[in-house]
Amino acid sequence: MKASMPAGRRRLAKSVVATVAMGVLLAGCGGTPATSPESTAAAVDLKSAEGAKGDITICGGKDASGIHKNTTAAFHTANPTINAKYVEIGSSTDQQRTQTVQRLEGKSTECDIFMMDVTWAPEFAAQNWLLDQTPVMEKIKDRLIPSTAQTALYDGKYWATPFYTNAGLVYSAKGKVAKPSTWQELYAEAAKAPGNGLVYQAQQYEGLTVNFLELLYSAGGEAVNDKGEVKIDSPETREVLQFMADGIKNGSADRAVMTYKEDEARLAYESGNFGYERNWPHVYRLLNNTKLAGKFDVSPLPSFDGKSAASGVLGGWNFAISAFSQNSGAALAYINFATTPEWQKHVAIDSSQAPVNEAAYSDPEVLKAMPFAKELLASVKGAKPRPQSPVYPQISQAIYKNVHSVLSGSASPDEAAKKMAEDIKTAQDSF
Amino acid sequence: MTSTQKLAERPRTFVYDRAERRLAVRMVAPSLILMFLVAAVPIGYAIWLSLHQYSVRQAGLSRFVGLDNYLDALSSGAWWSAFGQTFTFTAASVSLELVLGTAMALLLNMTFRGRGLLRTLVLLPYAILTVVSAITWQTMFEPTLGLVTTVLRGLGLPGGDIVWLGESGYAMAVIVLADVWKTAPFVALLVLAGLQVIPDEVYEAAELDGSTKWTTFVNITLPLLKPAIVLAAIFRTMDALRVFDLPFVLTRGANGTESMSMLAYTELRENRLVGEGSALSILTFLTVMAVSVIYIRFAGGNIRAAAQEKQ
Repeated sequence: MKASMPAGRRRLAKSVVATVAMGVLLAGCGGTPATSPESTAAAVDLKSAEGAKGDITICGGKDASGIHKNTTAAFHTANPTINAKYVEIGSSTDQQRTQTVQRLEGKSTECDIFMMDVTWAPEFAAQNWLLDQTPVMEKIKDRLIPSTAQTALYDGKYWATPFYTNAGLVYSAKGKVAKPSTWQELYAEAAKAPGNGLVYQAQQYEGLTVNFLELLYSAGGEAVNDKGEVKIDSPETREVLQFMADGIKNGSADRAVMTYKEDEARLAYESGNFGYERNWPHVYRLLNNTKLAGKFDVSPLPSFDGKSAASGVLGGWNFAISAFSQNSGAALAYINFATTPEWQKHVAIDSSQAPVNEAAYSDPEVLKAMPFAKELLASVKGAKPRPQSPVYPQISQAIYKNVHSVLSGSASPDEAAKKMAEDIKTAQDSF
Repeated sequence: MTSTQKLAERPRTFVYDRAERRLAVRMVAPSLILMFLVAAVPIGYAIWLSLHQYSVRQAGLSRFVGLDNYLDALSSGAWWSAFGQTFTFTAASVSLELVLGTAMALLLNMTFRGRGLLRTLVLLPYAILTVVSAITWQTMFEPTLGLVTTVLRGLGLPGGDIVWLGESGYAMAVIVLADVWKTAPFVALLVLAGLQVIPDEVYEAAELDGSTKWTTFVNITLPLLKPAIVLAAIFRTMDALRVFDLPFVLTRGANGTESMSMLAYTELRENRLVGEGSALSILTFLTVMAVSVIYIRFAGGNIRAAAQEKQ
């Protein structure tokens, strides 16, 4: 028995090698990938929404603000022939994206509408996963804030319809620090006393790209221009990187920001140990539930040294109709409903999200529910989209990894600016 | 055992041999097919994918690129830094786990009241999901509110003002700590099993010969424990080389903590570069295979020798 062991093992090894080899061959026969591009995506038919009926499913992230629950309920009341259901497919944006991609890759008919982060449209449109929504957008574009419409644009067509938007704000502690008008003022004030510091999001992730681009856009710089040319290797990039690194070195911003995402920054600020916080509008409601209630001001993002106008980076969520939807007519009816000026007011009043319809911001009821509506509108109107490209995830990595290495002191602003441009070009060269 | 020996001793006729072989093939076939389906097919498919590139700009477009994805990966700084960081992590965490795990096993092997309860308690960290424990560690090392930093500051000890997860070196230390905390009990369990098969007579003989506790440990316990320790080392090394969840949750790969698996995940999932990502997965797989082959070559002899001695 003992003597036969090695021989048996050798035979086993041989058969394993053989099965692996067969696996390679079989996979080669079975998984024949198409080698030629598929035809272009279809556009939605506006007439299909009339008299639509049946069930539709909207798939998106965790419905923390209740906006989707409210919208599906109100939609059903207005359109009794259609049942709309909202399904949560991920608790974080990353998870939601993975889940969305898996469904689309598998041509799943489960979801008729996908909630799309504003950076996803080009990538998904390039894979023919979405219906072309240009006809819808042409009809309603005039009542949208122009910057929000731009996030759905790729290759001359609109691939999504904005539902609600988002832009960064600065929260400042009343009586401790002044409301800032430039980033320089903010940083100087923040460095004056230990309790004045700024918290923002500088962990190595998407949020750091946003925080960096807000400063870069305000300083008059850009990452990638409209023609897709890389413009990030610029004096503005170096200046902003130096400014951010100095801010951490001299204590304007706590070094801990390098481990912060939105929630960590919010929790740190709620401890009362800081003067300023850069975060999204949803923080307003949460801050008012803490001991800091009523003790803070909200302002739009400041300008950079008064050079150019202040500019933020646009966030928010859009509706995309899946190319595999079995009921695109009803999906379209849902989008039509959710983007009406009337419902856009409810987006703010019932769920404290930022409407994409400009008129909503001056509605008295909205102003009551969202006292900082004026500041928010200013931020949203001034905000620009992030680079729009099918390889956006790689472009964003090129930005946040290099910014992070400047903040941690492992690269100089000059090295990082060059590396960013190089990495973005590599990303753009992806097959 | 005896019946098989009898069978083997019987004079073999040609017909009998063929019939028996056919039967054998039929009996082994289900498990071979199962192995093929669950192990070989996915690996083969990943290899196939890694020889191609799938367009992220145009639907349905793909091309055969041969070994280009591998050459690109091997000539990139990202792969080699992930490679180095993964090995640093593995060396640090596995060696600490072996030392601590063995010490824990020795303690648990003593006779005392509540031993059963303690054995259960010690295993608790291993029962907790890695992602959950990673989030807990992240909270504990949070710079302003975290338990660790607050306690260090309160006691006036150094380290209270360090942004642990925001600086290279320190970030790796936290990841190693989280891994050791979780898996040292696993090592302890394996070593404890090894300890319990050492017969008491050996120790009695040693005591009669006047051996001190230390010499007994070095000359008797440790050599007899070697197979168990080597086994634990192999298990832990394989696992550590594939580390993903700890850096993913704690640092997202920042500050010198990106592992090989994280790199492959980013390419595959975030960037949807299926070919390039598969090549990175296969490279990770080959690295782990190579290390296990080395282990078995150099340490495997011990296991086999020990197993034979026992027989």
